[in-house]
Amino acid sequence: MKIAILGAGPGGYVAALKAAQMGAEVVVIEESEVGGVCLNAGCIPTKTLIASSDLYSKLKEHDDYGIEISGDVKPNIRKMMERKRSVISTQVKGIRALFKSWGIRLIEGRGSFISGKEIKVTLKDTSQQVVNADKFIIATGSRPFSVPAFPFDGTHILSSTHALELEEIPKSMIIIGAGVIGCEFASMYRALGCEVSIVELLPRALATEDEEISSMIEKEFKKRKIKLYTKVKAEKVVVEDNMVKVTISGDKELSAQKLLVSVGRSFNSEGLGLETCGVDLAKRGNISVNKYMQTTNPDIYAIGDVTGGILLAHVASKEGIVAVENILGHTVEMNYKVVPAGVFTHPEIGSVGLREHEAKEQSIKYKTGYFQYRALGKSHAIGEITGMFKVIAEAEGKGKILGAHVIGHAAADLIHEAVIAMQGGLTVKELADTIHSHPTLSEGMMEACEDLLGSAIHSTPKK
Amino acid sequence: MIPEDLRYHKKHTWVKVSGNKAKIGITNYAQDALGDIVYIEMPEVESEVEANTEMSEIESTKATDSVIAPVSGIVIKVNEELEDAPEIINEEPYGKGWIAEVKLSNESELDDLMDATDYAKYLEEEAIG
Repeated sequence: MKIAILGAGPGGYVAALKAAQMGAEVVVIEESEVGGVCLNAGCIPTKTLIASSDLYSKLKEHDDYGIEISGDVKPNIRKMMERKRSVISTQVKGIRALFKSWGIRLIEGRGSFISGKEIKVTLKDTSQQVVNADKFIIATGSRPFSVPAFPFDGTHILSSTHALELEEIPKSMIIIGAGVIGCEFASMYRALGCEVSIVELLPRALATEDEEISSMIEKEFKKRKIKLYTKVKAEKVVVEDNMVKVTISGDKELSAQKLLVSVGRSFNSEGLGLETCGVDLAKRGNISVNKYMQTTNPDIYAIGDVTGGILLAHVASKEGIVAVENILGHTVEMNYKVVPAGVFTHPEIGSVGLREHEAKEQSIKYKTGYFQYRALGKSHAIGEITGMFKVIAEAEGKGKILGAHVIGHAAADLIHEAVIAMQGGLTVKELADTIHSHPTLSEGMMEACEDLLGSAIHSTPKK
Repeated sequence: MIPEDLRYHKKHTWVKVSGNKAKIGITNYAQDALGDIVYIEMPEVESEVEANTEMSEIESTKATDSVIAPVSGIVIKVNEELEDAPEIINEEPYGKGWIAEVKLSNESELDDLMDATDYAKYLEEEAIG
């Protein structure tokens, strides 16, 4: 079985490795760099820069920790960018080495279907070659959505990709869109000293998170003097005297050195020759797939952002594995019931499963349990007392965990305890009864489960 | 210990009335129960506060709690000093640690509040209860 994969992001490269491990002959076609947006202009570079900004924030508290520093502590964004490039390069080399070790052929160029069985690849030197295969996986991903009224110029009006390449810390920045990307950049650039304002059309920041998580991040933004305008539309953008001026609803004008537009992503489904191979697009321009990740051409599969589902790297990877298993004779359905997500703001957020408003909308009988970071000894020891754990579980039946939401230090890691509990159908009681190591932040999840059941050990009586 | 010139709400907030304006803060009991205060979220100037509902949120190293408005009114001033130094509330809950000043919208609400003697009794009962 020969499989050709279009795109080497977290969907495509994982699919390639899985397919090779299962014995298939694999060709991967990538026009830019292995690792895709995730590794080169998304997950990894943002987290690398956030690590720098977090350390800088922490260093400002050096006195509280009993550390003396003589001389100034100041951020150097150029060096941060160097570090970022070096982290990316290590990871890129890692993927390339894995490809090599599994005998995966990487063709560096832009591929486009010319039939249901062939892809024509235009190489970097403009020469062309045709790749044949039995089955195909399209994993071409997505890119920042450019608003036609104020398109990216890379200097004043930035996409997330541009915002990862700045050579100077801007004095001020306006961010349109308080989604994951907008909020992460807001946290990071604010920590580096930039004045940040966020403009959001929806009533709250991180509108897909649990409402209590949104209100907590909004409060934390307020503490950090990040200005957040919700239910506000950016009407007009003008670049004047090296400044960006944004007119928002109510005729208020904001101005800043940079404007970051993070209002969603566009699917990379154009120019792939899909019309030559019977692969249909859905209304939004994403590729339609069934639960086996198969497109309207049964020999061609599609995974990741380009299918328009949940735009997360780890979802793309899982979809890639599911596609490969189906190609290689197993029948596996993609299951989206338990999908964790992390938001790397300060404080960090980890979430999985049901949000409380969803439980209400779906008339599910549920209970909630809470625990505050500041009630944990470990939080005080490490100086990270802001945050909370929230667990949502069935009020009837066994008391299975339906969702969990953590905001605070290392939340995106801590959430996985609830992720496994949900995957295994564990109940709140089973999680509460599990011995947790002390002193750890993980104790918070246990205590939130205890709270849901009646009373957390480290809490005062409920009034 | 409990100032005579203030009036007290059972959720441990106080008001200091002058004319149709009132300064609001939390009591010594409240600051002591909270412990070291690290942040207070201020109401916005010109916003409305309603008696017996949350007017701001306060965070200490051990808890987060709501500050319950003792009276209704329009916020005319907030104590900006608290923004960078919320610990002033611990140090001087009845003085420099005031939170906001409101223009009273219903002066009769003041009658629902306790005087210093009643508040002292109330605290004793709370301690026993």
